[in-house]
Amino acid sequence: MSTENLVKHLRNDIGGTGCSDDKVNIFERDLYPWEKRCHALLDVLDYHKIVNTEEKRRGTENIGSEMVGKLSYYEKWIVSASNLLMQKGILTPDDIAEKTKEVAARFDVTL
Amino acid sequence: MSENHDHEHDHTDGHHHDHTPITNEETPGYYEILEISIRELLIARGLIGADEVTKQIEVLDSRSPVLGSKLVVKAWLEPDFKERLLKDGNAAAEEMGITIYDNTAFTVLEDTPELHNVIVCTLCSCYPRPILGLPPDWYKSKEYRSRTVNEPRAVLAEFGTLIPEDVKVQVQDSTASQRYMVLPLRPAGTENFTREELESLVTRDTMIGVTIPKINNN
Amino acid sequence: MITVEHNPALFKEGEKVRVSEKFPIGHYRVPTYLRGKTVTVAKNLGRHINPEEEAFGKNAGNELWYYQVIIAQKDLWKEYLGSKDDTLEIEVFENWLEPIK
Repeated sequence: MSTENLVKHLRNDIGGTGCSDDKVNIFERDLYPWEKRCHALLDVLDYHKIVNTEEKRRGTENIGSEMVGKLSYYEKWIVSASNLLMQKGILTPDDIAEKTKEVAARFDVTL
Repeated sequence: MSENHDHEHDHTDGHHHDHTPITNEETPGYYEILEISIRELLIARGLIGADEVTKQIEVLDSRSPVLGSKLVVKAWLEPDFKERLLKDGNAAAEEMGITIYDNTAFTVLEDTPELHNVIVCTLCSCYPRPILGLPPDWYKSKEYRSRTVNEPRAVLAEFGTLIPEDVKVQVQDSTASQRYMVLPLRPAGTENFTREELESLVTRDTMIGVTIPKINNN
Repeated sequence: MITVEHNPALFKEGEKVRVSEKFPIGHYRVPTYLRGKTVTVAKNLGRHINPEEEAFGKNAGNELWYYQVIIAQKDLWKEYLGSKDDTLEIEVFENWLEPIK
């Protein structure tokens, strides 16, 4: 089976592809505090044009089908922002490795 | 390895945050650690200010469907305002002290006796956040985004909304900078309602278009 | 006084146009369901940076016209079960629209 659709057809491009049996789960919840901070962070990054909103959208699309399917909405946002900041040379992978280690230790969490 | 946060928040129904604490009282998972790290790195590098995220949270918290309902009811009661609202949503919002903070074009879609509007963003989750606040999870779900464009009446029925055959249903798929909100029809029998009573009929779901305002709301 | 428009809009309100069939990779904002369809221009929405380029960091520069276009649902979906008058509207940038010969 050809794999070209994986390249040509974005995973978020789903208009008209649903099944009538997939009822809308009419669910909503308040954001967790970190999710709200994440949302605000991306708004601030867009305001400064450090990472604009369309870049953030692309970043939530290009992480591959498995992550698109399994990460939650804001989990995708923070991974997208991290990837973009590295692509732009603003942060390095080691910056993130060292800092997450420091933050995790602050909360007594093992990564 | 930390697990995803999957707990329920300990808030009762209807409780509305007017202040989201910046600190967390529970053990953060991986993605929260990443969020904290990215934010602190950016602040340390001088790329964003130390309090910008907090300030933006205050902006986010200040936006809710209450603002939308005020615009709708003002349009119902004042034909001049309605005309301005339909012509230039950003300017009309500014009149009411609501700044559109994200470079989007706030666009109001008027329902008529012949036309019912419903809004979706199939590609992501575009939503008039500066007016209505943050969208509900179902609006961002695969089911809503994949099915509203090709079977809107079936999706509306799941929300308890049946639009008669002779009323046109128009789906708006939000893909660029316009951010849409429905101006629902004012229900019959509300001629003597006060402004506050009218506003209580205009729920968030009526401004997305999945429900219509009803006098005896559940 | 003569003004010269250096970047006029290609399409007028009410005009029938065709949505291109083409396959960008990396990022796009025209859903697959719309490609190749004939739509009518409902409204000229002005100009904006092309989101496909904005997604790769373009924050300033030439802007592209974009339009709100409308199509009857029965013309969009092979098996549309709603009312025959139901419609769909969507925003599309000029680089995705072709005149109908």
